[in-house]
Amino acid sequence: MSARYGMVIDLDRCTGCGACMIACAAENNVSPPEPRATWRTGITPMVVRALSNGKDGTDRREAFIPITCMHCEHETPCVSVCPQQAVEFDKSTGIVMQMPQRCLGCRYCMTACPYHARYFNWWDPQWPPGMEKSLNPGVSVRMRGVVEKCNLCHSRYHDALQKAAAAGKKEIDVADYVPACVEACPTGAIQFGDLADPKDPATIAAKSPDAFRLLEAIGTEPKIHYKTTQAWIRALADRQSDRPTEAPHV
Amino acid sequence: MSETALVDRRWIERGAERASTMRFLLWLFPWVCLLLLGVYAAGLCFYYGLNQTNMDNRFAFGLWIFLDLTVIALGAGAFFTGFLVYILKQQDLKPVLNSAVVIGLTCYSGAVAVLMVDVGQPLRAWFTFWYPNTHSMLTEVTFCISCYLLVLVLEYIPVLVKNRQLRRVPSFLVFEHQAHKLVPVLAGVGAFLSFFHQGSLGGLYGVLRGRPFAYRQGFMIWPSTFFLFILSAIAVGPSFLMLVVATAEKITGQKLVDFRVYRKLGFISGVMLAIYVAAKAIDTYVWLNVTSPSMGFGPWDYYSYWPLSSTFLFTATVPLGLLPAILFIVPRTARHRGLLLLAAALTCCGVALNRFVMTVQTLALPTLPFDPFLKYTPSWQEVATFGAVVAYGVIVYSLSYRYLPMFEAMKGE
Amino acid sequence: MKFSRRDLLIGTVGITAGIAFTPVPWKLLGDASIWTQNWPWIPQPSHGPVETKLSACALCVAGCGMRVRMAAGFPVGVSGVTTNPVTQGALCPLGFAAHQLNWHPARLLTVRHNGRASSWPEAQAAFAKTCAEGPVAVIDGRPGRAASATLEVFAAKHNGSYQAVSGPETNALVPYAAWSEVPVSALGYDLENARTIVSFGAPLLDGWGTPGRFTRLWSERAAGQINPQLRLIQIEPSLSHTAARAWRWVAVREGTQSALAAALARVLVEEHLVKTQGPLPDMTLEQAAVQAGIPITAIRDLAHAMVECAPTVVITSDSDPTVSALNVLLGAIGTPGGIVLKTKMNQQHGSVPAAPATVRATVIDGTVPWDLIPPTQGEVFRFAAWDGGGSNADWLLPSPGFLEELTDIPTAPTSSIETYTIATNLLAQPQETQTAAQFFSKLDGTLPDVDKSIHARCEQIFQAKLGTIYAGKPTPVAQFTSGAKLEAQLRNGSVWLGESPRHTTLRCALKTWPTAAAPAPVTDWTATWAPPVLPLLAAKLYQESTLRDAPGRSQA
Repeated sequence: MSARYGMVIDLDRCTGCGACMIACAAENNVSPPEPRATWRTGITPMVVRALSNGKDGTDRREAFIPITCMHCEHETPCVSVCPQQAVEFDKSTGIVMQMPQRCLGCRYCMTACPYHARYFNWWDPQWPPGMEKSLNPGVSVRMRGVVEKCNLCHSRYHDALQKAAAAGKKEIDVADYVPACVEACPTGAIQFGDLADPKDPATIAAKSPDAFRLLEAIGTEPKIHYKTTQAWIRALADRQSDRPTEAPHV
Repeated sequence: MSETALVDRRWIERGAERASTMRFLLWLFPWVCLLLLGVYAAGLCFYYGLNQTNMDNRFAFGLWIFLDLTVIALGAGAFFTGFLVYILKQQDLKPVLNSAVVIGLTCYSGAVAVLMVDVGQPLRAWFTFWYPNTHSMLTEVTFCISCYLLVLVLEYIPVLVKNRQLRRVPSFLVFEHQAHKLVPVLAGVGAFLSFFHQGSLGGLYGVLRGRPFAYRQGFMIWPSTFFLFILSAIAVGPSFLMLVVATAEKITGQKLVDFRVYRKLGFISGVMLAIYVAAKAIDTYVWLNVTSPSMGFGPWDYYSYWPLSSTFLFTATVPLGLLPAILFIVPRTARHRGLLLLAAALTCCGVALNRFVMTVQTLALPTLPFDPFLKYTPSWQEVATFGAVVAYGVIVYSLSYRYLPMFEAMKGE
Repeated sequence: MKFSRRDLLIGTVGITAGIAFTPVPWKLLGDASIWTQNWPWIPQPSHGPVETKLSACALCVAGCGMRVRMAAGFPVGVSGVTTNPVTQGALCPLGFAAHQLNWHPARLLTVRHNGRASSWPEAQAAFAKTCAEGPVAVIDGRPGRAASATLEVFAAKHNGSYQAVSGPETNALVPYAAWSEVPVSALGYDLENARTIVSFGAPLLDGWGTPGRFTRLWSERAAGQINPQLRLIQIEPSLSHTAARAWRWVAVREGTQSALAAALARVLVEEHLVKTQGPLPDMTLEQAAVQAGIPITAIRDLAHAMVECAPTVVITSDSDPTVSALNVLLGAIGTPGGIVLKTKMNQQHGSVPAAPATVRATVIDGTVPWDLIPPTQGEVFRFAAWDGGGSNADWLLPSPGFLEELTDIPTAPTSSIETYTIATNLLAQPQETQTAAQFFSKLDGTLPDVDKSIHARCEQIFQAKLGTIYAGKPTPVAQFTSGAKLEAQLRNGSVWLGESPRHTTLRCALKTWPTAAAPAPVTDWTATWAPPVLPLLAAKLYQESTLRDAPGRSQA
């Protein structure tokens, strides 16, 4: 009965437009950046990175990879290291939940995460006067000094649960729970579904020979899968078989 | 020393030789300034938030965590000397016991103070005690360090109340007398707590399966870094103690302890260091040939980035590990005060380098295949806070030396 | 009883130990933590029920259907409308933060005259005076709206001129309009029937046309396929987002696209890859290859690849006729998969009177993109909801912001099928703001009312009985029983989609190969999606990540 929500992201379809990044930030009440914020201090629960095969001229290939919390299934690194249990693995959905109100801001979880999917509030979030009226009521606003990350739009799951309960049902309707990034993608590159359901299209896509996950050998069993027909991307992701000879384009 | 130059002579042991009050204040002045600068920097961090530092989402741990790990390792002399004196009955180390306690107290309280600045929400620090996560090494560290700090305070109070003026309060005298009975118990408890938190500090990194550079397999629930950190802490504790006492001797111009104490501390340090180096070598071999490759990472993933090439590995183990061990153990070199102190300094540097490697290098190395090698430079606020902890240590030790009977060899009531 | 030092000591120790057993310290600890969770300077979202409404985004010509979540009367989140036949649920990246724009620091809510605060009565008086003194030029950023009719009528009645500005996508159609002698607004691209698309720098997957239209098409027919059903050949100097995903990327030297087009034309004709014999450029293949910096063999390969899977269409990023002429050779004008004539349903404005030699004042409508500085004469009255900075307008007049103006969305420039949507204002128009149409109407009460014009258009659609209304499910117009019902649907976020284009053979009068035009200025990604100012969250794309370069233009 437990679901395991996850994604399969088709890197052949991702054009690097960044719609998922902005939709995620808007949905999750992420504040506009401080003037001094950079890619290392900003908050981007969904971030799209540019990849390249390191070659030049007409041999150069580039692709884009959306990175978000992988909601690791096995011995979730951030769950086991948090000293005050501010991170919880929700057994009914498989979502790794971050509770900013409990967070002490020790950032141990951030060192534990191999995917760098966790972000610290180095500043108090600030909006221009009046813009707080545009905040999403379903998501709490954080404060400085706490860690945050993707929660797979858990508030939308909650809304789907309430809708199902109002209709007297126990299970949610799959169409009612669509995370913001999935909804925003103009090419449909992000497929979302219940990976515990063998009939779910996302589960079937995750089993395709073109599918892979980042850092699989570490054994965290991430629930964000990627898919591509381009061998150079799979080679880049698979550290054991190939290493780029020069620093990849960031 | 003329009586008029010692304005605070009522607080100093009768007959003890001390610098004039003016000279002492002059000695303290720069350290107090450094302390105040650090307090100001910490105040900025409390007021504006941690954006005052140069830490970021990739370097979530920076100079301060390196500082915490290093000072706690250096302060290990406190528990280990206590263990040696009270449990293993090595009475000839008694003269330096009080020094070890003061060093431990300042190291641990300084580390806790810096941790309060380092966390984003210090007012929630008690959450770890109220909602502890038994799987987390950091929970263990928090509990043990808090308890051990309490132990150190309890060990320090008997030394504090031995002050010439405080001694005159009868209840203090009674307390001090009763406390004497407690000290061996405290030493045992301290050793037990220290064993765990020194180890857990290593365990903090050894359990990071997301960081193959730091991840180690080990025994039962503990990664090998747990035991390696205990060994290195035990090895460096006596070395640092030795360096501090020797520095105190140099600055005050007085002979505070017999050279045999140095030699003994050095020998213990050397033996522990030799064991550590051997254990570390085996651990590195297993890590580079078994553990790391099984996670898809080879040595080239760690040592291809300037300046952290394999020179680093070599530097950690030979000049800063094996060499001091030899200098400590071999009688020909151990007899020589200069070489002994050099070995102590090398050991301290080696352990600091090891802590640096586990904190900063772990975070600099990319895990994702398309990530670059990252660099980090601490901001002045971080450096100032670091300086404040050093200053705090110097000030407390200086005050303790001036007003308390730190060394048994000193005359006076 | 004498209170001694000892008593004090024991008392202090006792009290300290005792307090630990009272609730006091624990309550204080707890309160301190609760305080850290409820800092007064951290804003809280509104409480109250969330309702979902449909409208359309009026920030650019695309007019994407928008699903808006509202709480306490304000929009708290937006997404696309999956049942919209053009966008299919997409919005541009910036659209997802559009609901925050009304509180952007650059929001204009006071009338400004030469940098000082002024008022509407003053602006009105000044404009009335200039109107009386001479002709007024009106510049419209989005022609074809109901409000556009008001602007046009005003300009005509006051011996002024009406001029529409067009974006790069409209400009790209100008050569075909000239050669076929049809209005630009009547043309569109029939991408759905194309099998090969050759883009000369047009960012087809990264901001071109209506969001969702081509991206979905390409995703279904090309993405990840070795032999795609739809081949996208991207010709541009650098590996852009579109080029990275294209079937083929051809790297050309900056500014040499004319030469490459000439070379391709030569190969297509001389190797009989196309049916027509000309026109041919003057340059020889060798000369053209040298200029383009591409070997002749590569050019030949490219030409063959272009025609292998017909129909083929060439899409340019600007109005360079030397590249557009390739479509003439490829027979892509007026044929399936090429440049087509939209089935004209709504009447666009009639012929525009010639602009007078001098004008007394220029009125720039709020729909004109901020970074597009049209040539102006006389006193300049610029309407804008956001002050993009650096304006030399004499008057800055605040217009309604996002979802604050009732307006309609005519067919997007690149579309091959007519569409019509109404962007209902989900927020009341702030009293500090006026649209240019409202401003004119205050001076001349006889001008067409926007609301009435929209009603008339809906009635027109109903009467013609052509096309389909897309609400939850598509309903042919013929099935509607009244114009009012149709209008109600459109005001509720539905879209009218007209008939499929007739593939009328357009008469294309091109006898000689065109001469090269001046190179178009290089624009960055912020120009492809053209909101007046970038939403603050857009900085996630370039400041807080390495995904895109920082925008070239200032953001106020």
